[in-house]
Amino acid sequence: MALASVERLSYSYPGRRPALRDVSLELRPAEVVAVLGPSGSGKSTLIRALAGLVPHFHGGRFEGRVEVCGEDTRRTRPADLAGRVATVFQDPEDQVVFGRVEDEVAFGLENVGTAPARIAGRVSAALAAVGSEHLLGRRIAELSAGELQRVCLASALALEPELLILDEPTSQLDPDAAEALLRLASGLGVAVVLSEQRPAGPLEICDRVLFLDQGRILLDASRDEGLGWLARNRPAYLERAPATPSAPAAGRIVCRLEEVSFAYRGGPPVLEGAGIELRCGEVVALTGPNGSGKTTLAKLAAGLLPPDRGVVELDGRSAYLSQDPGRYLVRDRTDEEVALGVDGDVARARAALAAVGLEGFEERHPRDLSSGERERLALASVLVTDPDLLILDEPTRGVDPERKDELAGLLRAQARGRATLVVTHDVTFAAEVADRTVSLGVEESAYV
Amino acid sequence: MRPVPAAVLFAAMGAAALLAEHWISVAVIAAILLTACLAAPAGRRRFVYLAGAALTALSVFLLTPFVETIGSDPLWTGPTIPVVGTLDVTREELAGGAVAALRLLAVSLAFAAYALLIDHDRLLRSVRAGRRSALAVVLATRLVPTLERDAAGLIEALRGRGVAVAGARGHARLLSPLVSGSLERAYNLAESMEARGYGRPGATRALSPPWGVSDWLALAAAGVLVVGGILWL
Repeated sequence: MALASVERLSYSYPGRRPALRDVSLELRPAEVVAVLGPSGSGKSTLIRALAGLVPHFHGGRFEGRVEVCGEDTRRTRPADLAGRVATVFQDPEDQVVFGRVEDEVAFGLENVGTAPARIAGRVSAALAAVGSEHLLGRRIAELSAGELQRVCLASALALEPELLILDEPTSQLDPDAAEALLRLASGLGVAVVLSEQRPAGPLEICDRVLFLDQGRILLDASRDEGLGWLARNRPAYLERAPATPSAPAAGRIVCRLEEVSFAYRGGPPVLEGAGIELRCGEVVALTGPNGSGKTTLAKLAAGLLPPDRGVVELDGRSAYLSQDPGRYLVRDRTDEEVALGVDGDVARARAALAAVGLEGFEERHPRDLSSGERERLALASVLVTDPDLLILDEPTRGVDPERKDELAGLLRAQARGRATLVVTHDVTFAAEVADRTVSLGVEESAYV
Repeated sequence: MRPVPAAVLFAAMGAAALLAEHWISVAVIAAILLTACLAAPAGRRRFVYLAGAALTALSVFLLTPFVETIGSDPLWTGPTIPVVGTLDVTREELAGGAVAALRLLAVSLAFAAYALLIDHDRLLRSVRAGRRSALAVVLATRLVPTLERDAAGLIEALRGRGVAVAGARGHARLLSPLVSGSLERAYNLAESMEARGYGRPGATRALSPPWGVSDWLALAAAGVLVVGGILWL
């Protein structure tokens, strides 16, 4: 018997074009389903429909039928599905309610009426399952992004759901942590629906693959059949040998960090004695586990943070792309947002938007863009400044594999005139775009 | 120590500082509270709270001689100002100002200790009734630090593309995106809470561990401090 079934579902958010069109599928107990597709293809909407949030929370036009755990979602509120269905959303910071880890994990259990005497045990077990029992008692505000993502997963696991829905759960995790999380999810023995923009991991562990585009399911097949279909139709979604970038000419040194140390106010040292040289014409990938200081090193190189000790030399102008695309939503029009960095030059802004595939979006309000489109808007806002040193912090978060290929091509094409530093957890992207990779360890410093 | 007895103890110390007659008693209370504040974990803005408390106390010490008229032996006589009269400073006014400043310092430090050392979420969760109201307060208290962090992020992102944010006008332009961002976050949070069963009837509450000896001792000490403040200090 199906755990969930979707019959001829079409859905439009209020005042928008259809996000899902005539979608039908069945989920069986304990199967792991990878949901793939480009940005804006309807993956998140399908996930929300399975959680009952569409249409209850978002309104809009809903046609067809979704049944989850024997309940018709049109007649059952999402809160009443909670416990049997658990969802982890894209942005961990937007789903945290309480200030302490154990209170946060207990929140769902309390809501579904778990016996008070059992709550503490289930909180501890869920945190242990995600390898985060050491976070008990910690303040949420003091967690790293990766730790927070694990707490959100623990909050879902604590409910012991029959259907676990994960919307880009590894977007802020380093490769080892992401792999561990996916292995954990696949070994739970519950049905898992997993949407990801780094498809390599999900494609390894899933039983079945769904591929959506423009609100329609183009593929619903077993893993092996799915891999064949992807190889024929969407090769960007499969791991492949990275292209070997041509060796760049050894240009002048644009940025040099030597013996740099840094600690945030009142905190432990984040970097100690770190160094790096970035030359004109090269693209360098900066990788390393969560908490190793990659973002801090990038901000020091961009001149956004002053070092406590050591030397930072920058020859020319720098531009820094933040991890959070929500920080590029200052103006009311997309082209004006991009033009901010070039003294309001809208023509240059429009060219930059076109370069990242946002032609036709010029007059849209930035907040009306999808998460993937916001990522590209942020990228255009930085690229438009044409800096000597371009620093991109996790530029592929929420970006689909085909767009990643385009981004890699764009960065390679513009590499000649500048030094480029890409901070990323995406090893496939790093291998594709970078001339060399610098790995930052947790306790060691890197010197290249 | 649990948040409820800790909050009661800090409140009692503030009350005792207001009630005590002897300046030494007030000074001892202020010293204990200062020590507690300094024990707060790093990164929780100890300096801001302590500087605020010190500045408030200093203002009271400096202003008191000019608003009080006690003592007959002026240490300094200033000009005569219409309506206010002659400005002078006496030994008694200085002593009175010092004690008032010390009291205010102790009370400010009690608030600082409350802010630095007590987990407000836990304190609110200790309220067994009014779960929805307590949750609303928990989320509301997070608004200011979240907005502060968002503002810092926006400014950093603007600096990252070579746009300087300067002056009141430059900062005022960030208000609209900050409010929009806050509304968007609230919407996302509400969605997440709904998906986690919030609002469903029959909600329970995790058991709080029973109070330990230190909690009961803190409560007893709070009572002793208030009574002592009235009778002996």
